[in-house]
Amino acid sequence: MLDDNDGRIEQIAHELKRAERVSSSFDARVMRAVRSLPRHARLTLWSRLTTPRRISVTPLSWGLLAASLLIIALATTRAVLVEESTNPAKPITTALFAAPSKKQTPQAVQFVLVAPDAKKVAVVGDFNGWDPKHAGYQAHHSGGGVWSVTASLPVGHHRYSFVVDDSLWVADPIAPRAVDNDFGVTNSAIIVSAQE
Amino acid sequence: MEGSSDALIVDRVLRGDVEAFRVLVERYRDRYARYALHMLGNREDAEEALQDAFTRAYRSLDRCEDPDRFAAWLFRILVNRCRTMGARRGRRGRTFVVDDGALLAAAVDHPSDRGAWREEIERALRQLRPEQREAFLLKYVEDLGYDEMSRLTGVGVSALKMRVMRACDRLRELLSEVHSA
Amino acid sequence: MHVARCAVGAIALITSTAFAQDTSTLASRLDKPTYIAVTAIVDSARIAKMPTKPLFDKALEGAAKGSDGPTIIGAVQQRWVRMGAAKQGLGTSTSPDEIRSAVTALEAGASARDLARIRSAGGKRSVTLPLAVLTDLISRSIPIPTATDLVLQLMRSGVRDGDLSTFQRNVRADIERGADPTAAATTRARGAIRSNQPKPGRSE
Repeated sequence: MLDDNDGRIEQIAHELKRAERVSSSFDARVMRAVRSLPRHARLTLWSRLTTPRRISVTPLSWGLLAASLLIIALATTRAVLVEESTNPAKPITTALFAAPSKKQTPQAVQFVLVAPDAKKVAVVGDFNGWDPKHAGYQAHHSGGGVWSVTASLPVGHHRYSFVVDDSLWVADPIAPRAVDNDFGVTNSAIIVSAQE
Repeated sequence: MEGSSDALIVDRVLRGDVEAFRVLVERYRDRYARYALHMLGNREDAEEALQDAFTRAYRSLDRCEDPDRFAAWLFRILVNRCRTMGARRGRRGRTFVVDDGALLAAAVDHPSDRGAWREEIERALRQLRPEQREAFLLKYVEDLGYDEMSRLTGVGVSALKMRVMRACDRLRELLSEVHSA
Repeated sequence: MHVARCAVGAIALITSTAFAQDTSTLASRLDKPTYIAVTAIVDSARIAKMPTKPLFDKALEGAAKGSDGPTIIGAVQQRWVRMGAAKQGLGTSTSPDEIRSAVTALEAGASARDLARIRSAGGKRSVTLPLAVLTDLISRSIPIPTATDLVLQLMRSGVRDGDLSTFQRNVRADIERGADPTAAATTRARGAIRSNQPKPGRSE
């Protein structure tokens, strides 16, 4: 229902419709984030063979697959918990149930980041003192820009991030952001659950 | 490439041309910065939400069902990101603090005093409930129809109309206080 | 008895070794004034028999991210306050994992009362994962009261940690496909509760 007061709403809307500009570094920041994601590729037969599927292992990453199979072989009852991914080339964070042990036993978690231009990738978080030089959390490059590391994390909610080339902090693109942001750099969050 | 349609650019990106995505970023970042800024109230959060939306759009690009409507699809992602960020911020208690001293100092004699008037509007906007602010911006600033708003937000048309009406009432009330003197 | 004493001694040794290591790591990463202030807070935790690791973690995070001393100290102090609230909400016999999980839930916006309700619904079971799931739901912009109610309903229906994880993953996948977060969580919770109900018995 229009009345004189809608003139006020129009004034407000008119003011709010003014164009806004982002900062000059915005495009570069977006592209940097986007380049760290897996490149899309319309799937050819070769792409289907080489693109990671529901488990974050490419058919050609035999070393990684062998390690994963060993972990799976150690489990006795539960199925592998895999992070759902509709883009097979996405970075995937998976939690593998390593053993049918007690509830709160640390679980093996695989971190994967696709960063073709990186020279070094490490995982830091509340499980390793945020130390990018921690020996157990240095990702290995398995080809195609795919960096991964499998590490033991206690059950529960964790904050983490990737550190690329010792300087660039990269949130996991597919993980939710951790709520706290005490230091101006947002972390990713992961839940690690135990086998019952 | 700059003059190409969104669908063509999307197709290029899906074929592996990452850099082509920049065209879409350049095409839409200013347009949607406005919504994010008004929803979240500060530039830093707005740019973070917008950057996040673009990143998610890139990641899920193969799920964009109609690449010709990439803009609308991107906007939907942005609306969700703004909701998430707004909710997170509210829980941390980072609400906009109304400085009464500044409010009085900024009282305008005439709405044509643009800077102060704009500040008043932004301040009033901050005092709306998030869902009312969202509905108001979508209707009156982004000029969407209620059906489109409903598709975007997942909220029914009558609920949206109610939110818009309440937002308008509240804004009139808040902004008439400034100008009545 | 001798074996028990040895076991207790071994645990104490391991714990104090870990503590010493954390302290030494902190000393190498912080400037002196910040280190002194942070270790004072850590000592308060030790005296109160609370876990110290979450405090070390917060300080190390700040150091790794290049934050200044006052910011680090403030963040550690805030975490310490939340740890107190977590203990208050969950009760005295709370494990370090539960306190850590509760702190992240509080940081996400849950209240000490929410923690108490979850503890009450859990009975003797660990609430580490339910609290983690609560934090996750909140971080996906599900309103806190709704998120808390859903977790409580799941716990009261006897949904175990494994199925709770499945629930969380399903909600996440639904949201990534564009679903409204609250609708996704509510629907999946209903499904998880229904799956957990005992099947009607067959007649002989």
